[in-house]
Amino acid sequence: MTDTAIRLLLEFDDQVRRDREQPPTFLHRRDRKYAMDCHKRGITPSPRHWLAHLARLSGQAGKSSADAALGTWRHIMMGFILAGSAFGVVTMLGLLFYEGGQRINVTVILAVAFLQLLLAGVTTLQAFAGWQPWRPLLTRFSDQRSNAVLRKLQPQLMARAAHVGGLAFGTCGLLTLLVMVVVQDLAFGWSTTLNTDSHRFLGLVQAISAPWHWLWPTAVPDASLVETTRFFRAQAGAITLNPARLGDWWPFVAMVWAFYVLLPRLVLAIIADGHLRFRASRLLKRHPGLTAWQYRMETPALETGNAHNDAEHQPDTSTNSQLKPLPESDTVICWAGAGEPELPDALNGPDTLVLRAGGRASLQDDTITLAKAADHLAHITRPAVIVVTRGWEPPTGELQDFLQHAREQWPRASHVAVVPLTTSGLDEPPAHQLQQWLRFTERLGTDFACVSLPPLLPQNPYHQREQ
Amino acid sequence: MDNAPVFAVVGHPNKGKSSVVATLSQNDAIAIALEPGTTRQRQAYPLTVDGRTLYTLVDTPGFQRPRRVLEWLDAHSMSASDRAETVAAFVTQHRDDPRFTDECELLTPLVEGAGIIYVVDGSVPYSAEHEAEMTILRWTGRPSLALINSIGPDDYSSAWQAALGQFFQVVRKFDAVRAHFDQHLSLLRAFGQLEPTWESPLEQATGFLADQRRQRKIQAARLIAKALEDMMSYQEKRTLTTNQATETSEQALAETLRRSWYQHQRRREQTLRVSVEHLYQHKRIQRQEAELEWHSDHDLFSEDSRRAWAVSRRYLATAGFGAGAVGGAGIDALTFGSSLGTGALVGGILGAAGSYFYGDRLALPALKIGALRDGLKTATFGPVQDSQFGYVVLGRAVDHWWHISHRNHAGRDQLDLAPADSHWLENLDRKSRQDIQKAFDRCRKRKTPDDRQRVTFAAAIEQAMTVYDDWRLNRT
Repeated sequence: MTDTAIRLLLEFDDQVRRDREQPPTFLHRRDRKYAMDCHKRGITPSPRHWLAHLARLSGQAGKSSADAALGTWRHIMMGFILAGSAFGVVTMLGLLFYEGGQRINVTVILAVAFLQLLLAGVTTLQAFAGWQPWRPLLTRFSDQRSNAVLRKLQPQLMARAAHVGGLAFGTCGLLTLLVMVVVQDLAFGWSTTLNTDSHRFLGLVQAISAPWHWLWPTAVPDASLVETTRFFRAQAGAITLNPARLGDWWPFVAMVWAFYVLLPRLVLAIIADGHLRFRASRLLKRHPGLTAWQYRMETPALETGNAHNDAEHQPDTSTNSQLKPLPESDTVICWAGAGEPELPDALNGPDTLVLRAGGRASLQDDTITLAKAADHLAHITRPAVIVVTRGWEPPTGELQDFLQHAREQWPRASHVAVVPLTTSGLDEPPAHQLQQWLRFTERLGTDFACVSLPPLLPQNPYHQREQ
Repeated sequence: MDNAPVFAVVGHPNKGKSSVVATLSQNDAIAIALEPGTTRQRQAYPLTVDGRTLYTLVDTPGFQRPRRVLEWLDAHSMSASDRAETVAAFVTQHRDDPRFTDECELLTPLVEGAGIIYVVDGSVPYSAEHEAEMTILRWTGRPSLALINSIGPDDYSSAWQAALGQFFQVVRKFDAVRAHFDQHLSLLRAFGQLEPTWESPLEQATGFLADQRRQRKIQAARLIAKALEDMMSYQEKRTLTTNQATETSEQALAETLRRSWYQHQRRREQTLRVSVEHLYQHKRIQRQEAELEWHSDHDLFSEDSRRAWAVSRRYLATAGFGAGAVGGAGIDALTFGSSLGTGALVGGILGAAGSYFYGDRLALPALKIGALRDGLKTATFGPVQDSQFGYVVLGRAVDHWWHISHRNHAGRDQLDLAPADSHWLENLDRKSRQDIQKAFDRCRKRKTPDDRQRVTFAAAIEQAMTVYDDWRLNRT
């Protein structure tokens, strides 16, 4: 009588309960991997195999979390076995009580046997119907926080315990009977208050003996035995026949006990055990965790490539540079299409030399621009150049190269003011755009270039400056 | 799949390449800054299904010196047929040249066979200086798609569309921060159109991603259901010895219990928030949300919270009718139906009346201070008897879920969970209402639900999430 199915159910339920604390993505990955592994090895995934797999990985193979939950029921079953055994011995001793002056009434033994049969039937019925009249008692003496799944199996567990107890009762009763037959000279007879003749009693005992009449004919009472062993209240103690005949009832009594007390209990205990396993298997099949587990195994595990984390590797966005005043200059270089279609009036005087570089211009054009600017600056005492850029475009390596070449080619005292423009060219670029240009000139690491803003047109007093 | 397509996301610096990759790879840990040169090395983001890669996105640095590269390429090419080889030769030759680090990082995946996803910012005017970059990309001979990603409020996308159409096979608009999930899938399908052999893996990928999204909604509903169960049934308990009991007034004890109870509820709610965010792979969200607050002894929430998330008395009555009818149906069963459903009707009416009159107030029995017994005094606060508590927590949780499920991983702004201004839950169907109310009632009585009841409750919450989604859709 093993508890494999219950253990499986309890262990599965326990694992599902523990999994509730885990992130769903982890569970999915874990179970999908397991399913794929099974597929590769040609194994059909099953809850039992899965649990063993998890236990092996966590180094707990062989340990069962179900032991503790089943402990109470092991104790209950043991209690039933002990009590059944004790009751079996006591009951049989009581039935066979014989002090030599009277006879042991076979009718009483038959009544006790059939009462046992009735009790066994009621126990089975109760288990199948799910009645638990003893539940308050169990609740009182067992752990209140007992497993919820195990609670659903209580009727079947109780029926099995009761039948095993009944089996112990029957076995011990039969053994006691045999011992008593050996060690004592028992005198059986039959008697009843009812007005029953020997023929009818003979019919009854022969009907009862039907199951074993082919197996052990001696254990089937014949007409003479029934006729001669009847006793009445008035003739108690009086023996008028061969005393040996009075002992001939014992094979019948033993077989009655075996067939109507022991055997039904054995059969019903096996049925109870089967019912218990069936219920446990059905609970496992209907367990919501099983559906979720199967879904996880069947559904592919998706990784969206989000393992990389460089959020902390932000560039240094602190800058010490400040805007510088726009220098006096009559040289303007429009970088990468800035100042198109026309430069702001503040930068474009009648004598301003406007040159173009970057963007659509070729590198040769850039070189020509650098040379023209160098020529122009050579005649100026405080040479300064304004490089206008599109404020919204980030500064690139090309502008950096251009400024480095300018520094190398232009007069030593030359100075560059980078002026980032907005799309309209009329207002100040927003702070985040301005910051990138400030950091750009700071990274150049020289005083050669700085960032300035052009004098803006007189503003509408109600204009809100964008920050 | 050995030949899974690879897409290199390339472009001018600071045009949102990393944002596009962050959104499509659901990664909120990719550095995104308003600073050019944030990405210095290429980084691959593969989409794998059971370890099998369906496609890979490669984030790359932006072009720094495209004209110089183009000049080199021009100088080393004889005819159009050798252009791709010339680009490969450029990469080989300049791998260790610090001036061309960014270009080499950018061009390497293309040389190795990646498709091109060229990203521009549609909120700034078209710039001809990008033409050198686009020409280089055309030289690689790889299948190409251009994305117009709008970072700012202005729209110059039509000018960009016209220009990009001359260089790229497909031109699409895609807002990396605001694009809806359906647009992600549509974009992935567009990637598949670049090359016939790429269509199948991209189609599979979109299918898997759509399934994943459906599943996430179910899982989010379960997380919310579990949190509600925990919060609605939570009880704060204190046992005091004789000395402690004499030193502490009942009022102080009640206040301590109430405070601890609220702290626990807040913590549990925060745990739910983090779980839902992690479910959707948001791990770095800065969140702003009004905390659960109360004004007086028996008010669970500020009036604002109640106004925003609680349900009306009419709603409570209809939900309570269903819950009561179940109890009444027991009477009908006992009479073998001879009561002709009167039990269910009476039970329903009682349930509805109870919910109508008592459903929106915190009943006093939430706080219990026992008498001194065996030298010990036990005081408890909770479980909360006000079913509105559950509706407020549910409303806040569903709202948070909605924001998270609609948030792209490129978004770096703070998540501001402002209260809703409508009783959206009132659009919920009757059965879901009743299932939610029944679950709340069970929690109030500290009855542990069985698995079937848990599933029903989670399904009702999932339905509430759908209703909220519809309400948001119709509102905006």
